[in-house]
Amino acid sequence: MRLSTRKLLDKSFTFCAVMAVVVLTAFLIFVLAPIFVRGCGAYVFRGTVEYRRMMLDQFGRGDEVALAREIALAQTARQPVYSAVTAFEAELKQMPAARRREMRPLFKVVREGLELLLGPEPGKPLPTLPRMLYGQTRWDGARRHLKHVLYEVQWDYSDDDDGVRVLAPRKPFFAGTALEPIFDLLENDLDRMLNPRLTFYGRFLTDKSVDAHFFGGIGPEVMGTIYLALTAMLIAVPLGVVAAIYFQEYAEGGAVMTFLRSCVNTLAGVPSIVFGLFGLAFFINTIKVSQGKSVLAGALTLALLVLPTVIRASEEAIAAVPRAYKEGALALGAGQWRTVLTIILPAALPGILTGVVISMGRAAGETAPIIFTAAVSVGKLSRPLKMLFRDTPALSWNLYNICTEHEAVDRIRHVQYGMALTLVVLVLALNLVAILIRARVSKRLKG
Amino acid sequence: MKRTVEKITLTAREKFVRQVFSTLGRAILFSVTSVAALAVLAIIFFIARDALPFFKNEGMREFFFNKSWYPTREPAQFGAMAIFTGSLLVTFFAVITAVPPGVFAAFCMSDILAFRVRQVLKPVIEMLAAIPSVTYGFFALVVLAPLLQNHGGMALAVAWWVLATPIMLVASLVMAELICGLRYKERAGFAVRAALTLIFAALSAVLLLRVGSKLSGLEVASGVNALNASIILAAMALPTIVSVSEDALQACGRELREGSYALGATRAETLIKVILPASASGIFSAVLLGVMRALGETMVVLMASGNAAQVPSPIYNLLQPVRTLTATIASEMGEADQMTGSSHYHVLFAMGLCLLIFSFLCNLAGEWIVNRQRRKLRGA
Repeated sequence: MRLSTRKLLDKSFTFCAVMAVVVLTAFLIFVLAPIFVRGCGAYVFRGTVEYRRMMLDQFGRGDEVALAREIALAQTARQPVYSAVTAFEAELKQMPAARRREMRPLFKVVREGLELLLGPEPGKPLPTLPRMLYGQTRWDGARRHLKHVLYEVQWDYSDDDDGVRVLAPRKPFFAGTALEPIFDLLENDLDRMLNPRLTFYGRFLTDKSVDAHFFGGIGPEVMGTIYLALTAMLIAVPLGVVAAIYFQEYAEGGAVMTFLRSCVNTLAGVPSIVFGLFGLAFFINTIKVSQGKSVLAGALTLALLVLPTVIRASEEAIAAVPRAYKEGALALGAGQWRTVLTIILPAALPGILTGVVISMGRAAGETAPIIFTAAVSVGKLSRPLKMLFRDTPALSWNLYNICTEHEAVDRIRHVQYGMALTLVVLVLALNLVAILIRARVSKRLKG
Repeated sequence: MKRTVEKITLTAREKFVRQVFSTLGRAILFSVTSVAALAVLAIIFFIARDALPFFKNEGMREFFFNKSWYPTREPAQFGAMAIFTGSLLVTFFAVITAVPPGVFAAFCMSDILAFRVRQVLKPVIEMLAAIPSVTYGFFALVVLAPLLQNHGGMALAVAWWVLATPIMLVASLVMAELICGLRYKERAGFAVRAALTLIFAALSAVLLLRVGSKLSGLEVASGVNALNASIILAAMALPTIVSVSEDALQACGRELREGSYALGATRAETLIKVILPASASGIFSAVLLGVMRALGETMVVLMASGNAAQVPSPIYNLLQPVRTLTATIASEMGEADQMTGSSHYHVLFAMGLCLLIFSFLCNLAGEWIVNRQRRKLRGA
């Protein structure tokens, strides 16, 4: 082959390799960017007066007097809308029957839309479900909802078989009636009616959810995840570290050791859902650690899942301790026990810690093993010891749950994104901690 | 001043006590280690214990060769063939999409990028491997599925153009060069080469446009389908594949590379002809890890694959929803749980057993390959 051809091939190879990295990075940004950007929307958003009302009612937060003034202002802004609705109701009664039949369903849609946008009309009996007590608590939700009130979605089939989505304004349907002005009022004056203000809702992380995540935060889920991960690590770390010490310091080859090692390797490859099945069949149905699902059963299952990782990381850390340390200790007359406990373990501790922190991230993020062993969609918090024998919500499982089985999936998108962001940040932060520990250790070893 | 004299020698009795304690300690350590290691045997035992009643009662033939999965109907039908097909299909396409970019990215990270960049990139990739699968599933369901459903054809066409255009351009340059090399041994005229490049570029442009227009005309009935699941599984498996193959490429050492460069090989030649064969076992285990990750993954397929127990027709039609073993277990165990002992309960364990056996086989294959390579290296 000619030299120029070889050079060109070399350059195209380099190009392909760099492109692979670029595509990989681009795709991962494509995946993570929406989660990060929209996830922040659960914490920082423009909260409306309805949000502040909800906060005062449900959590007792906020300044009552200032809020009362604000509500009064908003009420004044809304008054023309409500009077128009009342006027139209009266008008409806005067209409000929045919026209009334035609108008009534249209009016009903507008009215329901208004209720969702601004909350229940003043003077009406209050609904019982909290989700119906308040209007749109978030400004972005209000803008989106306003569109539903102002426009009707229609499909235009005139020049295409598939149809084109068009937004038809509702206003012309009500032309000449008392209701006509409210469309312009809503479009122009919505910010006075709802008074949006930039809000930082940091307690999203710790608040309980109100009415199945319509309002409030993800506190029980966060706590459940932390309980599960911590309990799992409490079980897995002693087992894993002891096994690693045995493999590294005591075992002398042989068929038994080879067998045990390949057992650990196999354990690392077992699919996570199979761990879930095992947890159900063994911890719950056979030895009955609890009545049904519980944190303990889930943590035991997760502990098994992360055990190989803990063993491997600890083994590596122990193997990385310089031989001279051990030989020095033995030469000074320390027994094997004392060498392991006072010399090798302290020296290997940062490495072990790295593995433990990474495993904890894994335990916190896993979903499949806890589906049958620990997770429920709604749960309360109680004292840690009591929690051990009760089922619990957890970030990972509840993220799945509220974006597939929730009754109003579209209305609580911000909670879903917030939950996804919290989970990702939790796991990445744990990994970051592990990386930092590792960096410090390698610096110290270099001297 | 009173001086205490420390005894150095031990009496026989003390020696004996120490011996006993040491042996006892060892025994305790050994038993704890065995518990940790033998947990996998317990898993196999308990999964098999609950799976065997199904095979005993219903037989194997229906399970493996029947396509109708109606576990709650009377009489129940437990034909899992469609589910097996779904699992294999999704895994196959995920691995096919993930391996080439994964290996190329590993090449790039180990031999092309500067050391400093690599030191930053490597932990980042390891962190990406740690992102919980349910977040990927969430992305698949909330972002990718609506995108595919509403602008499916267009999205696919754009992706095809973005990915294929640079590759086609490079390919036409290379083709022109190769043909020039065949025809004119000494030096190719600039005009000839330019003309050939243009011709190939035109051909590839036609191909790009044809395939693109075909893709953009596609109708995607539902955003949750095998394609969506495959893409996300590939994205999930990529960090693992890149990280493990990069380790394998690094493990080859400098000597092989320097020897090859000293003989006048270019970087591409060194990597493909020398380093790739030398690290084949490591890359193979990376691919195996990717397969295991994709096959054993639950949440992504549960959320992205559409969960319809059917064999797509034709089989390579990725735009149809499928259902996998893991997703079936995850979504149906809740209902079956109440009737512990029913066939539905046991059939899910049978599926778990199949997954377990498969991962076991993958492990064995991986260990066999690594051992063989080790023996080969020792022999050479």
